[in-house]
Amino acid sequence: MKQISLTVEHAVKTYGGVTALADGNLTVRSGEVVALLGANGSGKSTLSKILTGVVSPNSGRVRIDGTDVSFAAPSEARARGISAVYQELSLIPDLSVAENIWLAHEPLRAGFVDRQAMRTKTRDLLDLFAGRVKSDLQPDTPISALTPDERQIVEILKALSFDPSLIILDEATASLDHQQVERLFELVRAWQRGGLAIVIVSHRMDEIFTIADKATVLRNGHTVGERIIAQTDERELVDMMIAGAARLDRRPERTSSDQPYRLRVHDLKTDVLRGISFDLRDGELLGLGGLQGQGQSDLLMALFGALRSSGRIELSGALRQFRHPRAAMNAGVALVPGDRASEGLLLIRSILENLMLPSWGKYGLPLRVGGARRAGDTVGQALKLVMASLDAPVSSLSGGNAQKVVIGKWLLRAPKLLLLNDPTKGIDVGAKAEFYALLNRLRDAGSAILFYSSDDDELLGLCDRVLVLHDGQISDELAGDGITRANLVAASMGAAS
Amino acid sequence: MTRALNRYPFLLSLILLVIMIAVNRALQDNLFELAPLNGNLRVFMPAILLAVGQTFVVIAGGVDLSMGAILSLTNAILATQIPQDAGVDTVIRALLLAFGAGALAGALNGFGVTVLRLQPIVTTYATGFIFAGFALSILPEPGGRLPRDLTTFWRSPLQITPDFAIPVPLIVIVLLVIVWIILSNTRYKQFLFATGGKADAAYSTGVPVNRVKFTTYLFSALFATLAALAITLGSGTGNPRAGDLLTLPSVVAVVLGGTRLSGGQGSAIGSIIGALILGLISNIISFADLDSWIRPLIDALIIIAALAIPGVIGLIRRLLR
Amino acid sequence: MNALTRLRPYFPPPLVALILGIALFFIGGVFAPGFANPDQAVNIVRLAAFLGIIAAGQTLVILSGGEGIDLSAGALVTLGAILTYRITNGDDALILPALVVVLLVGAGIGTLNGVGVAILKMPPLVITLGMAGVVTGLIYFVTQGELIGRTPPAMGRLLSQALIGQIPGVIVVWLVIGVGMWVLLERTPFGKQLFAIGINRTAARLSGVRVSALVTLTYTISGALAAFGGFVLLGFTQTVFLNLGQPYLFPSIAAVVVGGTVLAGGKGSYWGTMAGALVLQVINSLLIALGVDEAYQLMILGTILLVLLTLYGRQRNLRQ
Repeated sequence: MKQISLTVEHAVKTYGGVTALADGNLTVRSGEVVALLGANGSGKSTLSKILTGVVSPNSGRVRIDGTDVSFAAPSEARARGISAVYQELSLIPDLSVAENIWLAHEPLRAGFVDRQAMRTKTRDLLDLFAGRVKSDLQPDTPISALTPDERQIVEILKALSFDPSLIILDEATASLDHQQVERLFELVRAWQRGGLAIVIVSHRMDEIFTIADKATVLRNGHTVGERIIAQTDERELVDMMIAGAARLDRRPERTSSDQPYRLRVHDLKTDVLRGISFDLRDGELLGLGGLQGQGQSDLLMALFGALRSSGRIELSGALRQFRHPRAAMNAGVALVPGDRASEGLLLIRSILENLMLPSWGKYGLPLRVGGARRAGDTVGQALKLVMASLDAPVSSLSGGNAQKVVIGKWLLRAPKLLLLNDPTKGIDVGAKAEFYALLNRLRDAGSAILFYSSDDDELLGLCDRVLVLHDGQISDELAGDGITRANLVAASMGAAS
Repeated sequence: MTRALNRYPFLLSLILLVIMIAVNRALQDNLFELAPLNGNLRVFMPAILLAVGQTFVVIAGGVDLSMGAILSLTNAILATQIPQDAGVDTVIRALLLAFGAGALAGALNGFGVTVLRLQPIVTTYATGFIFAGFALSILPEPGGRLPRDLTTFWRSPLQITPDFAIPVPLIVIVLLVIVWIILSNTRYKQFLFATGGKADAAYSTGVPVNRVKFTTYLFSALFATLAALAITLGSGTGNPRAGDLLTLPSVVAVVLGGTRLSGGQGSAIGSIIGALILGLISNIISFADLDSWIRPLIDALIIIAALAIPGVIGLIRRLLR
Repeated sequence: MNALTRLRPYFPPPLVALILGIALFFIGGVFAPGFANPDQAVNIVRLAAFLGIIAAGQTLVILSGGEGIDLSAGALVTLGAILTYRITNGDDALILPALVVVLLVGAGIGTLNGVGVAILKMPPLVITLGMAGVVTGLIYFVTQGELIGRTPPAMGRLLSQALIGQIPGVIVVWLVIGVGMWVLLERTPFGKQLFAIGINRTAARLSGVRVSALVTLTYTISGALAAFGGFVLLGFTQTVFLNLGQPYLFPSIAAVVVGGTVLAGGKGSYWGTMAGALVLQVINSLLIALGVDEAYQLMILGTILLVLLTLYGRQRNLRQ
């Protein structure tokens, strides 16, 4: 392995008006394991993407061994010796393990693919995880037959097959079980001794303290510091991740314990959720916290009938099992989905069309468009929607206004249970404030609201209670004074509060 | 089971083929005798070649609806460029012209799909009109006469020993299988399957997705030209509409052979089997001594049942989950 | 392409197609003297009407997205015409019952297509192609090659000849269908949901749209409309033959695409298909009037299609 020294200096990346990274700095050298830490929105994933050539920074430099480099495509970064392991995004389902690992750099013999060599080399790679995976993980197994942890391991081996000088493990342990993680760390230490440079992006504190030498912490798009692991502790790192924004504007505590239960969930399970139980009353705003991908989306989708689940769900006192969103809708449930562009809106259609899609059945045959327009205007005014007209395509709206359309679509149906999947992502401050006011109004009027946010400030400022999810389970339930920034972050990391 | 199907997607179709052969043999005793075998394979040949060409395009995630038209076009070129008394030079020149025209046609398709980024189905549908029109302008009416030697070469079985002869089309089929097996061991094959399987993942791993797609249309045009050659040699004349009804069956043959229409998986061997199945179904129906007016219906019902098999299996799987 | 993209909102595809059709009509008059006269115009519209009616179902299926297409339309046209021919047997009184049968049979076949697509998850291209074979086979079987029957005189009178003023009946029928399609697409929940599933099936589902049911229904309606097209066509051809509907299949797809409906689904209109049918018919009639060889007709048609696709067919991906 070649020696390598890579530095990122003052990298900046903006998307439209949003600054994902304001001042990203990172240094890593051969034989080092550097952990990249940061809360949601800190810019750590953007920084990682800059390293691998997926994203080009607007300004700043990336230097390898003292020379400036700039990558136009992921393959260029790979050619320079940088290999990344993501969460099984780059595997081709119908091809085998070996074919995926060696794609585009298959071993050749006389111009033909040397399948024998491919199999042998793959077996050598698979042996690195021998005993930690089921024996059916063979070079010829199709990816589609593998479980998530096995796919993750194939991703790791694929990155390794390019003989890199620098490996980035981006949340690579998320799908792995304990033994597999242990094995991975043994490998990491071996790579380290062999001179590989390693960057590990993770949200699991215990893992970071097991394997990393150094930690680089990001907050609000800035690199706020570097620490040597041996000379620091969890508390200090957590403080670095959240310090500074110490204002706690909590709304006054609201007791709704005399209101009826709107939702009672017992042992809800999906592929990701491993048994969730909780209650929600009318007039209560229950928050879901935790880092992304811990099951929050699954929970909301399952409650809306959009995802298969097992367990007990009691809505408005009746045991329900929704097999389709329409059934949930008719029972008074509404969902504002996580990705508004791909799940919540029909971008090329008008605002009116989007607002009315679930509700056209109420307007007769032929549709009384006039009546629909009036309802659209009313809801638009109530939400203070800034638009040219109801006929403008929804793609012409700003993020905040587009999200209002998604919510407006449901408000027209006066839902009893409102599910929100990270609704303020990518929305400007002004729109957020309006949104919070709206949520509070709805809560005061008696709606039951379940609200996942990746922004801890929101959970702090809005929620009566917060359930923090970690690895598919509720790691902590915070209420009243217990809802503090520190507790939220700690629970998200699975660390003790 | 799934794993076996993945490696050899044509397993089910092979079973279907065996059944078809058995039924056909039951209805026609001399199925495997030289003359009927030779005749059958000769008739099936164009469909087999088209199916193989279509396979490349489909595996990469596209479709080529202009193959029949390219066949008509190159057929017309061959018929008009090879007079009855043609010498070797003329024949070679005609072949070069035909394959050259085929290559241009394929390039046009490839250009439309990769550079203009139009959808394959309408692009090849539109270019099909262009090629068909060209064919008609070169050869308005069926006609032409090929030299006896050429047609005899194609029609007569190859005599190995005084007692043993092999039909020439059978040799071609074996060659096709060999070529496909050789191709399956190249990096190109991996690129092809990756492009059709998950183009964005392939791209980020460094596969030249656009270039790969372009080449598939060159391949389909190549095989359409070969099919034209088969037809011209088989009939001895040219027909500017020869390919009209052959395009869609090529798609059916590919699907019957176990290749997924959405791409990423499949095999030309399966498509050969699919084309053979279609041909045998036709045969069976002729020999089954059925009322001639019910034949097309039975034919179509069998085909649609075969096409529905993957869907039914998928449905059963989903219900059992 | 910058100027073009800026002008695009002002020139929706149906309008462009219509202008193109009218322009070609008059240009045609230059190259083929005597071409651009009122009688020819009426004739063109009349011929386009048949294609337009047949292309109505195709429009719906393509709008539904998911690579929606109906390759069984041609066979259903033939079936509709033959059923009418035989059931009425020249008796005007049996026209209405025949129509009912035709619609039911068309809907039945269409439903089979829909079930194949929505429940068996078969590619629309494959299932409708297979079904076309089955329908054709059915026709052969039921008729045994003997096409007995007669066209009721009333149909010929109503459809082929002038109904209102100088306007042939079929054009009136076409306009009624045009309005009906507009109501269906723009003033019913079905239409709204159809566009939704064509644009983004995930978002549609998360807004309560029952996608499978809607897809199946779309193919059902398409089948009924194609069979109706055959019913109407009989009034013009006055006779039936086994290949009656096939020549209309691919032009029906072309008419939809030329009219600006995106093949990926979710965007388009029946007005566009109507304009597309007109354009295709103008080109067709012009080429015939010019005595252009069939060969060049095909080449020109293909080239025009490619050009139009390049201008309108490269729309941004409607799906995520």
